[in-house]
Amino acid sequence: MSASDARHGGGSRSNLVQITEDEAAVYDRQIRLWGLEAQQRMRNATILVVRLRGTATEAIKNIVLAGIGKLVIVDPDDVTEEDLGAGFFFREEDIGKKKVEAAKARIESLNPLVAVQTMRHHTLLEGESLDALVMTVDLVCVTDWPQKGLIQINEVCRRFGKPFYAGGSFGALGYIFCDLLKHDYITPDRSAPTDAPRSVKASQVYSPLHMALRHRWSALTKRQTKELNPGAVHTILALWEYQKTHDGKLPDGPDATAELLSIANTILSEADVNRQALSTMPSELVESIGSSARHEFSLVCAVVGGMLAQDILKALAAREAPIANFFVFDGTTGSGTVVRMNM
Amino acid sequence: MRGGGRYTHAKAILGPELCARLAETKVLLVGAGGIGCELLKNVVLTGFGHITLLDLDTIDLSNLNRQFLFKKKDIKQSKAMVAAQTAGPFNPNVHIHPIHANIKEPQFDIEWFRGFDIVLNALDNLDARRHVNKMCMAAGIPLVESGTAGYLGQVQPLLKDRTECFDCVPKPTPKSFPVCTIRSTPSQSIHCIVWAKSYLLPQLFGEDEDSGAELDEAEKQGENAQEIATLRKEALAYKTVRKALRSVETADDAAKTIFRKVFHTDILNLLSMTDMWRSRAAPTPLDFDTIENGTFVVKEPMKSSGGVSRSSSGKPLASGHINGNGPISTSAPNGTTNVGLKDQRALSLQDNLALFISSTNRLAARLRAGEETISFDKDDDDTLDFVTAASNLRSAAYYIERKTRWEVKEMAGNIIPAIATTNAIISGLIVLQALHLLRKSFSALKNVHLQFKPTVPLSCVNLCPPNPKCGICRDTYATVLCDPARVTLGEVVDGILGDGDGEEGGTGKREVSVFEDKRLLSDPDWDDNLDRTLESLNVTRGKFLTIVDEEGEWGTIAVALSILPANHPADGPTLILPSPLPKPHYTPRRSTPTPTPSRKRSAPDDEIIESEPSTKRPRMNGVQPLPEISSPSKRRRLEEDGVIMLSSSTDKMEDDVIEID
Repeated sequence: MSASDARHGGGSRSNLVQITEDEAAVYDRQIRLWGLEAQQRMRNATILVVRLRGTATEAIKNIVLAGIGKLVIVDPDDVTEEDLGAGFFFREEDIGKKKVEAAKARIESLNPLVAVQTMRHHTLLEGESLDALVMTVDLVCVTDWPQKGLIQINEVCRRFGKPFYAGGSFGALGYIFCDLLKHDYITPDRSAPTDAPRSVKASQVYSPLHMALRHRWSALTKRQTKELNPGAVHTILALWEYQKTHDGKLPDGPDATAELLSIANTILSEADVNRQALSTMPSELVESIGSSARHEFSLVCAVVGGMLAQDILKALAAREAPIANFFVFDGTTGSGTVVRMNM
Repeated sequence: MRGGGRYTHAKAILGPELCARLAETKVLLVGAGGIGCELLKNVVLTGFGHITLLDLDTIDLSNLNRQFLFKKKDIKQSKAMVAAQTAGPFNPNVHIHPIHANIKEPQFDIEWFRGFDIVLNALDNLDARRHVNKMCMAAGIPLVESGTAGYLGQVQPLLKDRTECFDCVPKPTPKSFPVCTIRSTPSQSIHCIVWAKSYLLPQLFGEDEDSGAELDEAEKQGENAQEIATLRKEALAYKTVRKALRSVETADDAAKTIFRKVFHTDILNLLSMTDMWRSRAAPTPLDFDTIENGTFVVKEPMKSSGGVSRSSSGKPLASGHINGNGPISTSAPNGTTNVGLKDQRALSLQDNLALFISSTNRLAARLRAGEETISFDKDDDDTLDFVTAASNLRSAAYYIERKTRWEVKEMAGNIIPAIATTNAIISGLIVLQALHLLRKSFSALKNVHLQFKPTVPLSCVNLCPPNPKCGICRDTYATVLCDPARVTLGEVVDGILGDGDGEEGGTGKREVSVFEDKRLLSDPDWDDNLDRTLESLNVTRGKFLTIVDEEGEWGTIAVALSILPANHPADGPTLILPSPLPKPHYTPRRSTPTPTPSRKRSAPDDEIIESEPSTKRPRMNGVQPLPEISSPSKRRRLEEDGVIMLSSSTDKMEDDVIEID
């Protein structure tokens, strides 16, 4: 089933909400970019966002401003002082309160046209409750979550035919993964002469995360490999592996460097990355990420949350090519690259 | 550090030193719009201690889809003020100083710019960008420049002598059209829209100005003399309809009178010039009554080449368009066929006539109610209706496809699509580059492009060194503190040149030309102004004097003017010179004389003197034909506010930007 079929087959809607003239006046500058039909699709979509850290904060701000129909947020945590660094939905007086409760009114005030529902029981993300939750939404976005959980939720999304996004940041690095099942979309043909703008239909078949992780880079030349910033990609994959063997915890300080480096080098060689492009992992990068991975930086969150939101909107609107399928942002340079992992 | 816990994460990533320094850092954000709101949030969260936020604009409904610091209740309030109020609580440790003003005002002079450690631009127009770039180059303050349009964006860190400046690379010039294309021979919708907005509307509702001068100029430039004569006749007739619009007795019939003149008589006059229509389809005069009753038919004559005629966009047009079945655009921007909004509905000829009458009447009523002049504003429904209707009627007469009100608004109003996500991404990247500048890790600086390339949506490019021919950042800058009411031009120039030796340096007395912006103030053969005060020459605080060596041996000196310090004695010297005096690079003259650099020439609006014969071509109420442009300063004058994509990889942009003013 395609993502767009899934959306309309979703349980939450039988009759579509039409954009009113007043709403169109607010959304004027974006309707001029993606058209009324795309706006209509966003207006009728319910998005589930799991966890509310920096990247989610930014992504939520953007999709709520854009005018999705309904946002459901699940996060069981309390606000800490550290969360104030990137969490502009929180204030000092919110420290100790439930994150979703502190943020709800501030999210609603971004765009009164969007319904916001918050949930704070982590049990909602397990077993049948998770199934029930996924069934009622049109797209799922899980942020700053260990790989094992991502794979599980991705599988549930697959079962119900829902597009799946994962995103988050590790210090200066950030990532987005998506599994849009079979996704059909329209995109302007930018190679056509400009006086004859034409749209073309396109389709992509995506891989679930557990399949994508088996990706091999064998087919790429040295130049193609370098362009995709393999050092940053494999640092992120190594952090996920590290979390697996450390009870979900991320490395925190120089003690972890050696282990992280060895994990990274193992997956680098397993992935068959062109050795002329990158023979071993850059130890400086691994060292610095070893002590910063569990931290989030507002600027990195702004970029990754911006890309994540834009991609969710593209997927909902079925306009423009979404990420296919693993985006990595490197905040030390500002570069953002996309690797096609097993698709 | 107060509220230390909130910086735990940032400290782990930036290191404790930079983090601590940020609390003392003074940053200027220019612009509190789409990029500005995101940028303010970022610098507040990152912990820049002293933030000055400047914007001249007020909040509009169409901002709310992306400028997240504003709510509906804030509409019409100052952007800078509201943004500061909303973002302040994000981090109570930082000080935000909002200013509701134009960055080009004189108080924001070089000394004011020197008060910042870094400047971040979040602007939407070329003119202000150039201004801030020049101020930052003059003051030696690092600047991060940025721009977004739709899905695309760019970030560019700039620092004098290390990187290119904003003016090192010429910017694409907006489109413009020859006067006769607009007035007599339109072939695209945009020609008709420009005509309605920049010619017809001002003729009827704008200032009563003599258009004779520009027609004289057009004649001089060798445009068709017969056509010019016809246009002169046409101009005279406007006097009559202007009167009709403003008088109570005739106002009711004014719309019909105007229609007959503009869409019937004027077109008949043009048709009498048979030469013009040999190689192109002659327009059809429109008839008020038959359009009104729905029986009017526009029939495009077959061209000599035979076959189906084509519209400008290359789509074949059927040749007989009955009222209501005209060639309408069925596509919303980007090819959606969904026509759901009122403004996106196709308008029949009859609809357009009705809209023409009603908008003319509404505008006429406003004149009679005391409004002296009315000019186009895309958010003023009466003017937008008028331009929509008038341009579509003209399009019908010329067999051009008609546009919806939605499309006309975008084309006439130069609207650039804008979304929250692009601004958010770009603003994050701006501050990441700003941190490199503050750290002085210059090798880490990158130009970053947000682009469509699937494998590299964010591409980093190494910076280029300054363009050695740049007329902005290659100048040698100096600051003179003075009292413009007392100091003379000659005193400043002599003072800056110095005697050429000793500790104070300087180039010594030379033959020089002196400019303020593009105005020539003196040259070796013309010294009348040297004894006049700066104030009398309208050279005041915040402006620059440019001193060009006549022999071309010394580089150009740009003197930034600021005021005397507050504690300066009232009877003290009228100026304080920099110490040492500026010493630009020196290139001894070769045996064969090289021509004087002509960078700073051209004096279009010069009340003092023109430095060279104007190459300006006739101007049609804002429709500016572009002459061949050789110097950056001229190009600058001709460019207009609006969208600028800095990127070279934004192939599509140039075509999306339509220059109308």
